[in-house]
Amino acid sequence: MTRFHQTFSFDGTPVACTDNETIASALDRAGIRVLGPGQNDCAGRYFCGIGACQACVVSVDGTRMEACLTPARAGLFVQRIGSGAS
Amino acid sequence: MSAEVLVIGGGPAGASAALHLARAGLHVTLCEQGPRLGGALHRQPDDPAQRIRVPRAQSQRWRALSTALEASSVQILCRHMFAGIEGGGTVLLEDRASGRLVTRRPAALVLALGAVERVTPLPGWQLPGVTTVGGLQVMMKSTGQAPDGDVLVAGSGPLLLALAAQMAALGKAPVAVLERSPKLVSPSVIASLITAPAYLREASHYLLALARAGALPQHGTWVRAISPRDGRLAVTIVDRHGRDRELVVDRVALHDGLLPNQNGTAAPSNGPFVVRAGDCREVLGGVAAMADGRHAAKAVLAHLGRSTEAEPSATRVLSRERRAQAAINALYDYSGADPAWLPDETVICRCEGRTLGQLRDLLASSDPVSAREIKLNGRFGMGACQGRFCAEWVAAFIAAQRDGEPPAVSEIIGSRWPVKPVPISAFVTLPPSRPSE
Amino acid sequence: MPHPASSPPQSPRSVAIVGAGIVGMSAAHFLSRAGWQVTVYDAGAPASGATGSADGAVSIASKKPGPLMTLAVAAVRFYEHLTETGILGDEYLPRSTFVVASDQEELGVLERHASHLEASGVSIRLLKGAALTGAIGAAAPSAIAAVEVQGEGHAVGYRVVERLRRLGGFPIRRNCRVSGFNFSKGRIVGVVTEDGVEPTDAVLLATGLGSASFLSGLGPIRPRKGQLIVTDRAGADAPSFPGPLMSCRYLVSKGSQAAPGVTESRSLGLVIDPLRTGQFLIGGSREDRDDRETTDADVVATLLRDAVELAPSLAQLRVIRVFAGLRAATSDGLPIVGRVGGAENLWIATGFEGDGICLGPLMGRLCQQMICGEPVAHDISSLDAARFGLSLATAA
Repeated sequence: MTRFHQTFSFDGTPVACTDNETIASALDRAGIRVLGPGQNDCAGRYFCGIGACQACVVSVDGTRMEACLTPARAGLFVQRIGSGAS
Repeated sequence: MSAEVLVIGGGPAGASAALHLARAGLHVTLCEQGPRLGGALHRQPDDPAQRIRVPRAQSQRWRALSTALEASSVQILCRHMFAGIEGGGTVLLEDRASGRLVTRRPAALVLALGAVERVTPLPGWQLPGVTTVGGLQVMMKSTGQAPDGDVLVAGSGPLLLALAAQMAALGKAPVAVLERSPKLVSPSVIASLITAPAYLREASHYLLALARAGALPQHGTWVRAISPRDGRLAVTIVDRHGRDRELVVDRVALHDGLLPNQNGTAAPSNGPFVVRAGDCREVLGGVAAMADGRHAAKAVLAHLGRSTEAEPSATRVLSRERRAQAAINALYDYSGADPAWLPDETVICRCEGRTLGQLRDLLASSDPVSAREIKLNGRFGMGACQGRFCAEWVAAFIAAQRDGEPPAVSEIIGSRWPVKPVPISAFVTLPPSRPSE
Repeated sequence: MPHPASSPPQSPRSVAIVGAGIVGMSAAHFLSRAGWQVTVYDAGAPASGATGSADGAVSIASKKPGPLMTLAVAAVRFYEHLTETGILGDEYLPRSTFVVASDQEELGVLERHASHLEASGVSIRLLKGAALTGAIGAAAPSAIAAVEVQGEGHAVGYRVVERLRRLGGFPIRRNCRVSGFNFSKGRIVGVVTEDGVEPTDAVLLATGLGSASFLSGLGPIRPRKGQLIVTDRAGADAPSFPGPLMSCRYLVSKGSQAAPGVTESRSLGLVIDPLRTGQFLIGGSREDRDDRETTDADVVATLLRDAVELAPSLAQLRVIRVFAGLRAATSDGLPIVGRVGGAENLWIATGFEGDGICLGPLMGRLCQQMICGEPVAHDISSLDAARFGLSLATAA
């Protein structure tokens, strides 16, 4: 059983992850619910779990992708996407 | 060597279509957006040792299909997102592992994109901690563990029951299950489900598990609003007597039925032969999806001039499932909160944070503004989800405001590629198809 | 300097405007304010043609030197005037455009265009070295020079139309195609639609490509397709774009400046336009095609490759939408604005190609002046329909 032996970075904080789980799962277990500032009071968050709603998009090693579809992996550099202009 | 057939979506419909096409001797590639096959229904656990219990027949169906698929010649590409069919008829796939855009010119394309959940707007549905019921269930199937904290499940549909019972089986039932529909199972519904006894069996197992956990669905009860409170969610609940009460929880899971996932899949006339299969064609559930995959395979074979055998059993399954789903759906109330009671601040477009007040304002004048004007000026349906979670509701709202003048939903929902946002960095990798200027 | 009216002053009467794009809606607004009874007809909905799929450049930077550039200067001033008087609300955003050269060949085009802009009285700043780095270095590190074109701005076409619609004063007939006109004694007296005939005292054709169906002979107006890309929002940590970046190739593609060997039916110029939402609009192609429903991965990928080469930070964004629009182009690159032969009370304003958002409000104002028989505020003789010998097709 290999659990929690690895971490990725989320906005500079190490987050533990298991083999094969998604970034969204790992963040949820870490109690991280706000995945970005979002627009007009609609923060980034996990919602549909199937890549349709686009609410959980984060930057993974510089590329934007859905946290719910992206496998977590040791050493990944994951960031919230900063808010744009108003 | 035969031409390639591309199947998009690794759920039951796509897997079934791919398998049957490969058995007919075709060169088949199956693309799945996620890291593993299974789709939302047959989501496979991250850790095979941590698997939640699902109805045995359901897991057996998928095991049989996936085993046959592994033994077949189907080429499986996971983490390949379908980006759409571009104007020249080329299919675009985004390979998430390499970060590249891949192009294909298949002889035929089977779209098995599944369903998206309907969630009707209510104040606070955009808050972190509020998910779809399916979203929470997918996470639970993946981790093999119940979500932490107190969970409230609300809305309408059989999925509420399934999620709640699966949580209860893990020893952590929801604090409440609120089913909007006032109806209870009637003899006539049971009669119509007699031909599909699996659903009755499944439902009775779920109800039993919830009864044991003291979390049976509360009928005729719905959520009026959700607001943040001390890092948790304060939920105002209306019971069947119209009385308000409040619950403070950590998560709220909402669901008001399922819709076919069809956005952005309009096929240009010069593109490949396209067939839709499974819930993205008609929402009939997993059993029907496997049968529909066989139908899709047959349609492709016929198009390619291959002799095909009739699929009487698939047709039988589809009509049986259609009857069963109709009977089940008659039990539920997917209408959501009455828009007249929703405050102006209610977020409608969750991507852009556009509110009901802004929508009402656009409709306020006597001038019959078109759906396209509402889309452009109100930005409804223009966010990253491309209207998947607001367009249908916005169109229905406009129709309700204007007696007998429903706008075309297609004016709000996108019908073009890209089906989903595609990284610019992936486009840049596309080799020029002609000498650069 | 005002130009004498070609017809005597008219007392306010009724006018039918065909086309609810930015030109037609601007004319409708000013005619309504002048006391005319206005009806706007559109085969679709307001801003459903080129206006709704335009980039929103209220810009002199890319205009062809000559009358078009002169009119663009006046058109931008007119946007400022409409903003000062409250008519446009905050829809017009003043900002500079940056025309960018990435190599020596482009530098030549840039310097030539800069001198044309200066000659037209446009305020510009040639940026090189530290000034270049300070202005756009973060956004476009590989640029070797740029011209900052000052005193222009941005307005979203469909939002301008919506603003004018809300100011109101006239009905809009949606999904109401005008199929022809009724005549009496050399004048149009009625507008024919599938709902019947409605009397009118004057007609303005402002229906872009659709105008051609009303005109005799082979129309000088032809479709020029443009494909545009919309990205998602940039993060707060992204480099700031002080305004749109326009590659020198764009000037060549638009025909505003010549370059050897550009004869293709499809050309790609690059403009990277930072929108108020934090998104970017990246365009665009000019193709002699009329299919507005399709967009090509090849065009999109080529534009994006060029965009990322100029502005590498764009690579971290995503394409959320790709769309195409059809511009109404003329053979000499100038719009057609003025009287049309075949009826005494028919005016036209079309053929703006990619300049309709910039010129639209001013042209609407000038059309109002012409129709009212007032002196016209600017010399638009070079836009006269007579240069193509246009007359009304249905006059027969």
